[in-house]
Amino acid sequence: MRKMLLMVLVIALFCFQARAQNRTVTGKVTDENGTGIPNISVLLKGTTIGTTTSAEGIFSLSIPANSKTLVVSSVGMGEKEVRLTSSTSYTVNLSANTKDLQEVVVVGYGTQRKTEQTGAITTVGGKEVENRPFSSFDKMLQGEVAGLQSVSASGAPGATQLVRIRGIGSINASSAPLYVIDGVPVIIGDISRNNTTSNTLGSLNPNDIESISVLKDAASTTIYGSQAANGVILITTKKGKSGKAKLRFDTEIGQTDIGYYNDDYLPLNSEEWAMITREGLINSGNRPGQADTLVNSSTYGAYNRGYNTDWLSLLTGKGKQQQYNLSASGGSDKGTYYASGGYYKEDGVSLQSSFKRYTAAIRGRNFVSKKFTLTTDISVGLSQMESPSNGTGFANPIYAAIVLMPTKPAYNQDGTINISDFDFPSGSPFNPLYLAKYDKRELNELKLIGNITAEYKILKNLNFTSRFGGDYNNLEETQFQNPNHGDGRNDGGRGFSYYTRQFSWVWTNFADYTQEFMADRLKTSLKVGYESYKLNILNNSLRSDGFPPSLDLTLASNASTPKTATALINDKARISAFSNLVINLDDKYIVSGSFRRDGSSVFGLNRRFGNFWSVGASWNINREKWFDDIDLISELKLRASYGVNGNESGFGYYQSLATYGYGYNYNQLPGSVPNNVGDENLRWELNKPFNVGLDVSILSNRLGLSAEYYNRKTTDLLLNAQTSRTVGFISYLTNIGAMENKGVEITLRATPIQTKDFNWNLNFNFAHNANKITALYQGSDIVDGSFIIRLGYDYRTFYTRLWAGVDPANGDPLWYTDGAKSQTTNDVNKAAQVPVGSAMPKYFGGFNNTFTYKGFTLDFQLNYSLGNYVRDALANLYFGDGTSATRNKVKKQLERWQKPGDITNVPKYVTNGNKNSSTYSTRYLYKGDYVRLRNLQIAYSIPNTVLQTLHLTGLTVYLRGSNFLTWVKDKNLPWDPEQGVNAVTNGEVFIPKVYTAGLNLSF
Amino acid sequence: MFKNIIRNYQVYLFISSIFFIGSCSKSFLDVQPPTSQNVSSALKSDADVLVAIRGMYAGMRSSNLYGRTIPLLGDLMADVTYISASNSNRYINQQAYVTTINDANVSGMWGGTGATGGTVSFISVGAYSIILRANNIINAEIASTVNVDQYKGEAYATRALMYFELIRFFAKPYTDNADAPGIPIVLTYNPAILPPRNTVKEVYTQIVKDLTEAVRLMTVTAVNSSQFSKYAAKGLLAKVYLTMGDYANAKTAAEDVINNSGFTVVTAAAHAAYWANPAPRTDKVETLFEVSSDATNNAGTDALAYIYSQSGYGDMMAAKDLYNSYASTDVRIAYLKKKFRGGDSAWTVEKYSNVSNISEKDEVKVLRLSDVYLVAAEAAYNTGNETDAKKYVNYIAVRRTTSFTGYTSTGAALLNDILTERKKELAFEGDRFHTLNRLKLPIQRNTDYPVAARTIPYGDFRRILPIPQDELNANPSIQQNDGYK
Repeated sequence: MRKMLLMVLVIALFCFQARAQNRTVTGKVTDENGTGIPNISVLLKGTTIGTTTSAEGIFSLSIPANSKTLVVSSVGMGEKEVRLTSSTSYTVNLSANTKDLQEVVVVGYGTQRKTEQTGAITTVGGKEVENRPFSSFDKMLQGEVAGLQSVSASGAPGATQLVRIRGIGSINASSAPLYVIDGVPVIIGDISRNNTTSNTLGSLNPNDIESISVLKDAASTTIYGSQAANGVILITTKKGKSGKAKLRFDTEIGQTDIGYYNDDYLPLNSEEWAMITREGLINSGNRPGQADTLVNSSTYGAYNRGYNTDWLSLLTGKGKQQQYNLSASGGSDKGTYYASGGYYKEDGVSLQSSFKRYTAAIRGRNFVSKKFTLTTDISVGLSQMESPSNGTGFANPIYAAIVLMPTKPAYNQDGTINISDFDFPSGSPFNPLYLAKYDKRELNELKLIGNITAEYKILKNLNFTSRFGGDYNNLEETQFQNPNHGDGRNDGGRGFSYYTRQFSWVWTNFADYTQEFMADRLKTSLKVGYESYKLNILNNSLRSDGFPPSLDLTLASNASTPKTATALINDKARISAFSNLVINLDDKYIVSGSFRRDGSSVFGLNRRFGNFWSVGASWNINREKWFDDIDLISELKLRASYGVNGNESGFGYYQSLATYGYGYNYNQLPGSVPNNVGDENLRWELNKPFNVGLDVSILSNRLGLSAEYYNRKTTDLLLNAQTSRTVGFISYLTNIGAMENKGVEITLRATPIQTKDFNWNLNFNFAHNANKITALYQGSDIVDGSFIIRLGYDYRTFYTRLWAGVDPANGDPLWYTDGAKSQTTNDVNKAAQVPVGSAMPKYFGGFNNTFTYKGFTLDFQLNYSLGNYVRDALANLYFGDGTSATRNKVKKQLERWQKPGDITNVPKYVTNGNKNSSTYSTRYLYKGDYVRLRNLQIAYSIPNTVLQTLHLTGLTVYLRGSNFLTWVKDKNLPWDPEQGVNAVTNGEVFIPKVYTAGLNLSF
Repeated sequence: MFKNIIRNYQVYLFISSIFFIGSCSKSFLDVQPPTSQNVSSALKSDADVLVAIRGMYAGMRSSNLYGRTIPLLGDLMADVTYISASNSNRYINQQAYVTTINDANVSGMWGGTGATGGTVSFISVGAYSIILRANNIINAEIASTVNVDQYKGEAYATRALMYFELIRFFAKPYTDNADAPGIPIVLTYNPAILPPRNTVKEVYTQIVKDLTEAVRLMTVTAVNSSQFSKYAAKGLLAKVYLTMGDYANAKTAAEDVINNSGFTVVTAAAHAAYWANPAPRTDKVETLFEVSSDATNNAGTDALAYIYSQSGYGDMMAAKDLYNSYASTDVRIAYLKKKFRGGDSAWTVEKYSNVSNISEKDEVKVLRLSDVYLVAAEAAYNTGNETDAKKYVNYIAVRRTTSFTGYTSTGAALLNDILTERKKELAFEGDRFHTLNRLKLPIQRNTDYPVAARTIPYGDFRRILPIPQDELNANPSIQQNDGYK
């Protein structure tokens, strides 16, 4: 480090030239559209020499001839340093999205100058999430922020997105970050109860977002105390600005298709199916004649009828995608406004999968007096979603597309859909074409987020803010399963109607106080506040069976037999006091501290209140006097922080209480049982993140680098402590586990080419995270589905048998009997189960490139995720060497062993299975490394000269491909490499690639 | 001046608003659960106790208990039922006598399955969860009334029943070694306990004590056959004595039920309708105690009926020699149906016939009057009273095969006839395995069963189940059964 500084100094000395005369510089400060901005402060760096711009944005300033740097700044637009050259005239662009300005960043309960920042914060501009063909903005964070993993398990439009910042931080509580929209914490994730997936954030219009701040370390997050453990995502929505009214219209229309498909996993055609089935029947002991008879029997699909149905093409395929957004904004010295409306529609790439959204937002700011400002924000989103069944549900069209025998016809001779008992007996997957036509599974979700904020300037340096905000989510789910075919058949049809309401409100009051000391060299800012929060959840569920024959009567009230009628309430309350102090000496040395005290209803009576704190410090090295002469480096900043915050979400609401539960009924009369052990000492999971970061900008900000190292220790993890079973309970939740996430993040920004007409900007980010379990109940392993939770290992370590291939002599499956792979066996019971790899990527990030030439922009973004494994959990159905003998198989199965001496990895095909060869083993565990072309876009913006004649302020047209290409390392990987945080396949709707054409118009 | 006041007034307002929130904080955080109550307020009145009684009974519907495992293993681990080659992969290890210490069926019966969170899910509770429910009712500090006594009596009987099931599956028979390790006796709730095993004798002493108390406390006529009554407890006591080899007491208790309960044995004519009926009975015919399921509350695909019925999994077949032991005119043969399954023609069991019934589901019989008659017969034989023995066994036998006039054998042959009648009458209700164990007889199975598990002599350690490993993990004071260590 010291060496590097020295070198930089030496280089700087060469550049250093002394002059000692006065000269005058002039210039214009403009916004992103080239319009001059009035009242902007222009200051010679490190002096009091300065001026402000005129109404047209013009300035003129007399300065010493050897002056180096002008600082152009404005409250709300941040500041920008201008390096002086021999030129006397400068145009300074002070737009919010200028990469190199020292902008103001949105932080917890306010904003902060980036200079004063001590924490690890990444900001994503609204432009990165606007007009994308994805149903929610969280999907667009993929690859945008170093250390933020954003993945989906399902490609269904409107599906939930899993976001993890700096690894997974909990086992039984939530690992998702806190989302705060305009100061209001919101309810996130899939809160539907009948749909296979949904996303409350899908009801927000991404085009209404101005910026997203991702807070990653203790210094930045701890002001959120007990909700901060997994990071915080702050969303600031667009507001109106004083000035001329602006109207904007954006649209995008396109098509979706399956994003990634490995052709080795296409289902077999009829001929191949009959061939392999016959072989399997003979291998399982049938004579050839018997095998022929069976292949032609209904059990195996009656091959001799001559059908060859391509179920995959029938059940999956292209869908439509479109969105329209309209907004108006403007304002005066009395107030500002912003209003928008949007429509978004996306079809999934399978039957019964679609998403529609209508949004409206209105935001007004009223400057009641010089001291008093009143702001109101309201966003409303209504989304309608249709989602198919998943997993091995017989109604899942994705599952059916692979495993339905090609020898079964989809349609009858007369064109009606085939649901005959011959082809679809009980115990067989259903014909999804029939279900798509007559069954219904719909979700209507209404989301309303709003806040009223009053800001009062009590004194020049004392500001008081009171904000009341709410997040209202209303979900109506209806499902109909017809009485003729499918899941509803045995019950004469089923009708479900679920109502879910989740409402949270928050009332926040805080004061901001600033005070300067030592002739303004020492600046302090103090924030003190108080907050109360309440979450109310109401779930009503009903189901009725026994429907009349008309398939148009789908509501439960048409049915004869009520089956379910339940109502459930879950409430949570929280009160908090918080404060934050920043001490800034000369903009060089900054120390910050946060403290928050939370009380939450979900914890034990003895441990309801918790104290959380953090300290942070930063050193703006470039502001040191001796650094002023180093021209090469325009910014050099060192940051560090440490703190303790908590986790209070995701594990239930009443776990600390010893209770009797009701609903354990007998003879349809009420019954009660002791249902929870309770723990009066149940308390927060604690997260203790340490962070050290470095920000460097060189060559007039042409090259910027941010690097972070973190070590995030989580203790007091909620785990189940085992009781003796003789107690009458199995376990109870208590604070006993610990884990850590360590990692490195690098963000690189560069402008390799910058000429008058041609620009190339790139942004590369990289993250490495290593997770380790450091404490468990009695140190014992927890086998958790596909995974093992073991001391010293990564939390998502797969736990499975080691596949040793196929015995060339007889086609038997082989496994290793031990972790050292010293011996093989064909007896699955002798195969050792060992920890293998992890579902969590070792390295992930994104790579953005933007090329502009005159009005043309070419943008491409790559995402990558490396070093994890993916389990194909359904392989035993279609690639199990004869298991599930009446389900179709994939092409890969044709590589089976056939005769002694065959060298292959696919065992002999034996009807009903070959020595348990389809048991979960590393055979079905694939390397998950991938690189995806997330976005490829070519746009043309009409030049200003043309726009003026058209009375427009902007017109851009573009073509885009999203998820256009996917490169995978493991060519045997059957399905999309992105399979959620757990990387286990579940027959979900394929992740789509989307081709769109778009138009942006503003005037 | 005025302006200043205004400003200060506003400042005070802001500050006081903060304090206002602060002052209401404690009650604000006091959020009570909507579907549960604090333990302290759950058992305050006799109405509360009645509700808790129902929760206790409902738990026995668990597929770990009478929902499936208990009645199923009683036949499968003996020579009554076997698993078809075409099956849903359940209970394979119990049939093959290769049960491991980690077996989910075993640990489920003991203490329940599904270790997610502190909450015990509805269908997965084990015997000790039911014991906890009974303990809380028995220990509820509530003034004695006729109703409270009745409910407490039902809880005593239920606790005894659970201990009786556990001691028979997990410990050596009383008739073999009463001082052998039994199971832990837990009579009060304490989540921190790590109890060692009591002896078999201590457990049976507790069972007899609980049943005697149950009989004393219960004075109210039972609502129906799905709740314990005085004579159901007495009948169970008779069966407990028989299991202990205390034949004199067994006979006395059984005869009390036969003579004084007012219950009648189901006749041949009513037999089919009796088994088809899915609802609890109020007519005092045959059923002394059963666990009720209905359209809404049932174990679904995990129910006993589902694993027997060909409309469900239909895995369980009747052993061919059992089928052959019935006379063609025996009414009990009616629920055995021949079907091609698992590559062979086999006898399927349609004793539980309400799998597809959408408005009711099959109850599981725990104790029937016919059983008590057979207890009386065996007890009479063993106390040297062959006349009574014949009287009681024939009372049942002639009501199953109308053309049959009754057994006339004597001595060992008579005992054999009584045991055969017991096997035939209680088939698919889980009795046989326990009968063979208490009499220390070998288990001899036919070719329907896996080759390696056709003869299990008495004394083989596998004749009792292992203490589940998860109990051993959590409770270091407990000792594993020999052979499983």
